[in-house]
Amino acid sequence: MRPRQAAKAVVLLVLLLGAALGVYRSARVAGDDDPARRLAAGLRCPACQGESVADSRSPIAAAMREVIADQLQAGHSPAEVRTYLVSRYGAEILAAPPARGWGLLLWLVPALALGIGTGSALRGHRRTRRYRHTPVPATRPAPVRSGTARPEDRTRRAIAAGGIWNAGAVAVLALVGGVAVAAPHLTAVPRPAAAPDPVASADPVLDLLALARTAEGQGRYEAAAQMYRTALAQRPDDEIRLRLAFTLIRTGRSAEAARLAETVLAGRPDAPDALLMLGLAQRDTDPATSTRTLRRFLDRAPGHPAAAEIRRLVEAG
Amino acid sequence: MSHPLRRRPTAGWRPRFRWVPTLALLGIGTLGVTMAVGVTGTVVRSGPPASALGAPAPALTGRSLTGTPVDLADLRGRVVLVNLFASWCGPCRAELPLLVAAQRRWAARDLRVLGLAVRDGETAVRALLAETGATDLTVVPDPTGATAVSWGAAGVPETFLVDDQGRIADRATGPVTAEWLDRRLTRLLGAP
Repeated sequence: MRPRQAAKAVVLLVLLLGAALGVYRSARVAGDDDPARRLAAGLRCPACQGESVADSRSPIAAAMREVIADQLQAGHSPAEVRTYLVSRYGAEILAAPPARGWGLLLWLVPALALGIGTGSALRGHRRTRRYRHTPVPATRPAPVRSGTARPEDRTRRAIAAGGIWNAGAVAVLALVGGVAVAAPHLTAVPRPAAAPDPVASADPVLDLLALARTAEGQGRYEAAAQMYRTALAQRPDDEIRLRLAFTLIRTGRSAEAARLAETVLAGRPDAPDALLMLGLAQRDTDPATSTRTLRRFLDRAPGHPAAAEIRRLVEAG
Repeated sequence: MSHPLRRRPTAGWRPRFRWVPTLALLGIGTLGVTMAVGVTGTVVRSGPPASALGAPAPALTGRSLTGTPVDLADLRGRVVLVNLFASWCGPCRAELPLLVAAQRRWAARDLRVLGLAVRDGETAVRALLAETGATDLTVVPDPTGATAVSWGAAGVPETFLVDDQGRIADRATGPVTAEWLDRRLTRLLGAP
């Protein structure tokens, strides 16, 4: 009997661990601590089938992620952001079905099935166990394998084993219940305790520029250019124009870069950075003009960080 | 106590294990309650979405590509077609000439067409408008798509028909056809 009980304990342990792992993984979104991502993962992408806002590559999902990030940064709670999006798209965008009408049925059926299943499994288990452990007639010798065990011992052990199963079942139920209760609160935990930096949260353009600069640093010039464009659309600023121009030069679109630099020069004819960008943009198409522009740049800003490099370039070409 | 069990298991089963069904019921109860708690945490509010038919149209404000301030609320009293589009969207390209034609056709009835350029660069939008002959459209850039989200848009193209009371009279997800425009606009504005 002992090996069998040990096997049962192992099975129970494996089941418990599996349940714990499963519940943990479904409560936490794929190992992500970012509340914005977790919120997005709980929303269905309105433009696609079976994809969450977090996973979808559709532009509207990207817009929704941006709205989520902005609102969280502005100090709204995840529940408030969710309410906002539900007010825009209806409850259908929630990945979890609503607990009313037919949605309630979706919640109740698995719960009932689990409850009834557990109940009947326990019942069936009990019945066979009782049947098997009905005391053997006194005339029959005890089985050799059970060694010194007497019938009373076996009954006691059987009850103990039954206790393990029951305790296990209760533990699984308690675990599922506990995590289900705790899950909504867990979501709120990773929110930053400190108020978000007012400068950063008040200005999405600054965030966008920081992101673009990061993308540039990683060599993702296309993405950086797109972000600079978006930032420029929100704030027509010379500095952003020149950053975009520099990114465009690096992706080989010097004509567009030259136009941007010219826009800046139209307002500020001697802006050294604009002269620098224009000169660099002209290098591929018109080397002579490029050299002239770069010389103008050197005249205006001999102490510019790029001056030494440009001087070399001009002297070489 | 245990002997009659062989023939009638339920009889002996009862006294000692009657708590098993209770446990199962308790389990169902626990799950029900915990899920209800989990769900109330999830569903905060679910009425009709903001852009449902008959609902007041969400806000649409901004500066158009030509630099003029635009506010949908100022257009109360006029029928407005709000079209969400982008230069990176093929069907939008095909749809823009229809919207321009509708604006011209119902010009005498004061129809306005407002374009919302969703997640797009201004240069690309200008190029698209020039290419499709839609340069007279009033276009408000929505670079992040936040306005599109506030309208509950599923994507582009999407068209909302806002009546003279500022309510959403109709909505088309995906490209509109000339027939769609004709039928809806005739109903609201009369024949052109």
